[in-house]
Amino acid sequence: MNRAVLISVCISALLIFGAFWFTSRPASVDNETAVSVVDGKQIVDITAKGGYSPRVILAKAGVPTTLRVNTKGTFDCSASLVIPKLQYQKFLSPTGTEEIPISAEEAQGTMQGLCSMGMYNFQIKFQ
Amino acid sequence: MPGENQKEYIFHVHGMHCAACTLLIEETFKEFPNVTNVQASLPNHQVAITGNFSEPPELIAEKLTGLVKGHGYTVSLEKAQKAAGWEDFVYALPIALVIMAGFLALQKMGLTNLITSSDVSYGTAFVLGLIASVSTCLAVVGGLVLSLSAISAKEGGTWRTQTLFHAGRLSGFFVLGGAVGVVGNSLHLGLTANIVLGIIVALVMLILGINLLDVFHFTKRLQFTLPKIFSRHVVRGSRHDHYLAPALVGIGTFFLPCGFTQSMQLYALSTGNFMQGALTMFVFALGTLPVLALLSFGSLNIAHKPWKGIFFKTAGIIVIALALLNLFNALATAGIINPLFNF
Repeated sequence: MNRAVLISVCISALLIFGAFWFTSRPASVDNETAVSVVDGKQIVDITAKGGYSPRVILAKAGVPTTLRVNTKGTFDCSASLVIPKLQYQKFLSPTGTEEIPISAEEAQGTMQGLCSMGMYNFQIKFQ
Repeated sequence: MPGENQKEYIFHVHGMHCAACTLLIEETFKEFPNVTNVQASLPNHQVAITGNFSEPPELIAEKLTGLVKGHGYTVSLEKAQKAAGWEDFVYALPIALVIMAGFLALQKMGLTNLITSSDVSYGTAFVLGLIASVSTCLAVVGGLVLSLSAISAKEGGTWRTQTLFHAGRLSGFFVLGGAVGVVGNSLHLGLTANIVLGIIVALVMLILGINLLDVFHFTKRLQFTLPKIFSRHVVRGSRHDHYLAPALVGIGTFFLPCGFTQSMQLYALSTGNFMQGALTMFVFALGTLPVLALLSFGSLNIAHKPWKGIFFKTAGIIVIALALLNLFNALATAGIINPLFNF
């Protein structure tokens, strides 16, 4: 009996740590394709399908920015975009491009975006 | 002269779990000789009986049991000793965690990439339903279905309860989908309503999950039961089966926060046509049926197996974990906390 308890606790602990490692490991930073500057305006491109990619974006702070969210046959939660800081919420059309303006004042610090159920998220770090 | 030999006895009723049960108990015991008043209490699982009794209480308990035994109740003086069944956790905890790890792995497989077309046909709607039923929506809809069916099975509900839930869900999606198509006004909720609903669903699941664990007693008082007025129609029928509640809950799943459901609702909205909207939502719900039916009829089946204790505790742990996940997600969406997980 004690042995069973021990095995049970070990397996459980292993699974819990594994799951946390699995879901909270740092996301890859991909700036090459995500951020571009056109006519003094910063453009951030994000793809939404089964999550957001890239998940962490480094952008310039204090610059008027346009966030472009591209959907391509997106029917899952990532189509239901929420950006709490901008008080932005919209259900994106399954296929298309949504342009979200971010003013120079708003382009500060870390901006968190997620889907309305909170399963998927992304960050834009203005620095 | 009434009042001369009036005595009040309080008995413990084993098996009294629903509002309809208290009604049945009260009505049956009122016909017991010399009884002047009966008051059944659901949260305490007790019944207080007043009357001119000459027999000792043990004998009364025995006679009362005889009256309701056929319905599955036992009346006793002593509260039945309840074993918390801690040893079940030795198996329940690892099993629950393995299932949750499987759920996480499933999310990482990128099922959403299976959808390549961007226009919605009935075929796509069905496939979307299939995918939705194993996607992150499973945390909300599946978690709720699992907790409700396990609780229902535990309290003696039959296949009828589960079937009514699924029938309610399918017909609700059909009718409401059609309504969305006609009205042209999306029934899906705004952000604040979504967050509030998410938190409510999470809390309901949390309480149901704790009830399933069957370790703590305080949540029994928070049990979700229909007011007596609703059960009155049911009491003459079968004891444990509610007819209205499961169907209503099934219809209500239309409004549960789930990205896929909302996409389908938006599409139904764009059709501007009753039949098309109704059929799209119906076919989508049909796609989600296999997994959800497996959850509910599976729990019903297992509820009669010898290892049901392990099953209920496993289900309880999973439901509580999903409830916490939903709660954290709702708070993250509200911008209150940073997201803890990413699928």
